Amino acid sequence: MTFSLLHATDFADRLLYNVIPPLKAGMIVLADRYTYTAFARDTARGVDRRWVRELYSFAVKPDLAVYFRVPIDVAVDRLLARRVKLKFYEAGLDMGWSANAVESFRIFQGKVLDEYDRLVDEYGLSVVNAVGSITDQQRIFRRLVSQHLEMEHDDERLDESA
Amino acid sequence: MTMNDLTNPPDDTGANGARKPGQYYSYAVPYLSLDGYPGKLIAIEGTDGVGRSTQIALLREWLEVQGYGVVETGWTRSELMSPTIDLAKSSNTLNKLTFVLLYATDFADRLEKEIIPALKAGFIVLSDRYIFTALARGGVRGVDRQWIRNLFGFAIAPHLVFYLRIDEKTLIRRVLQARGMDYWESGMDMKLGDDIYESFRAYQRALLKEYGSMAEEFNFRVLDARRKVDVIQDELRRQIAAFLTESATPAAPVAGKID
Repeated sequence: MTFSLLHATDFADRLLYNVIPPLKAGMIVLADRYTYTAFARDTARGVDRRWVRELYSFAVKPDLAVYFRVPIDVAVDRLLARRVKLKFYEAGLDMGWSANAVESFRIFQGKVLDEYDRLVDEYGLSVVNAVGSITDQQRIFRRLVSQHLEMEHDDERLDESA
Repeated sequence: MTMNDLTNPPDDTGANGARKPGQYYSYAVPYLSLDGYPGKLIAIEGTDGVGRSTQIALLREWLEVQGYGVVETGWTRSELMSPTIDLAKSSNTLNKLTFVLLYATDFADRLEKEIIPALKAGFIVLSDRYIFTALARGGVRGVDRQWIRNLFGFAIAPHLVFYLRIDEKTLIRRVLQARGMDYWESGMDMKLGDDIYESFRAYQRALLKEYGSMAEEFNFRVLDARRKVDVIQDELRRQIAAFLTESATPAAPVAGKID
C-alpha cells in the first residue's frame, strides 16, 4: 500500500511540474512509463484493482499510449545479461513468493505481464512487439506516432476551416 | 481530460459513514483480513488547539488502570513518512495533491504496521486525528471530495469518532497563546492573502466548516471543546465505557480471562 502511494505522490509531483506545463505550451511530452505501470505493478502486488485506478484518476489521459510487449523469458534473459543482480522490489522479493531472486522475478513479472494484457483492452494501448530488433521497433513506433500527429493535424485543419 | 470517464466510480464508494465499525470503508487491502479482530479503534478528531493530546493521555491512563492494552497512533507519526513530510513542508514544494498523498502514505504505513496489528492483538487504539483531518485539509484546498474519499477507502471505519468542536474565536486565541501560527496551519499555501493572521482566520474557519459537514456523514460524536479539560474527559469516559460494556456483553463468559 505504501509502495503504491509513494509512487502516486511522485507521479502527482511530476505531473504538475513536468507534464502539464509543457502540454499547456503545446509541446510533446514523452513519458517513460505512465499510470499503466502502477496499475500493473500495484495490482500484481495485491492492491485492489479499482482502488489504484481511482487513485490515479487525476492523471491526464495520454493521446497515445504504447506498450512494448515481451514474453517473460525474454525479459528475464535481457535483465540477467545486463546486470548481475536483480533489484529487490523489481524482483518482487518483498512478496515472499520465493527466496531466489530470479524465480521471484519470474513469478512477479509474470503477474505484471498478465495485468498489462488486461490493460491493453481496457485502455486501448497500442502494442509493439518488443522481441524484434531495436531498429524494427523504432520504425513501428515512429509510424504510430506520426500517424497520430497527422490525425491531430488534420483535425486542426478541419477545425480551422469550419 | 482526466481518466474519470474511464473509471467513473459510483457515488457510494470510498470512505463514508455507512460502513460498519472495525471494517474497511471501501475496497479493502485485499492481502490484510480484519475478520474477528478483537481490538477497538477510537479516533479523536478536531482542529488545532482543542486539547486532543491532553484528552488522549488522560484516556490512556484511565483505560490502562482498568486493564486494557492501549496503543496510540498519531497523524504524520509513521517511521516511514514523518521525516519526508517535515522536509516537504519546510521547502514549500508541496501542491494540494502531493500534500494529500503524503498524508495517505503516512496513514497507510501506520495502518499496516501499528493499527491493524494492534487490533488483531486486542488493543484499544487511540488515534490522535484520523482520515478526517486529511479529508478536511484536502477539502478546503479544493481537492475533489469523492477522490479523497476513494483514496482513503482502504481505511478502517473507527468504532467511535469523537469530534472536539471549538469556535473560531476560541481556536485562534488558544493557538496564539500556545505557540503562534505557522505557515501550513495558517493555510498560507492557499494564498488567501499576505496577512498571516487574516489567512489563518480564513483557513481555520473553512476547516471548521469542513469538519462540521463531515459530522453527520461519518457519525461523529460531537463534544464542546470549550469546556474544562476534566468535564470533557468525563464525557469521553462515559461514552467509551458504555461502548466497551456493550461490546463486551456477548463475550461475557471469557471477559474475565487474561492472556
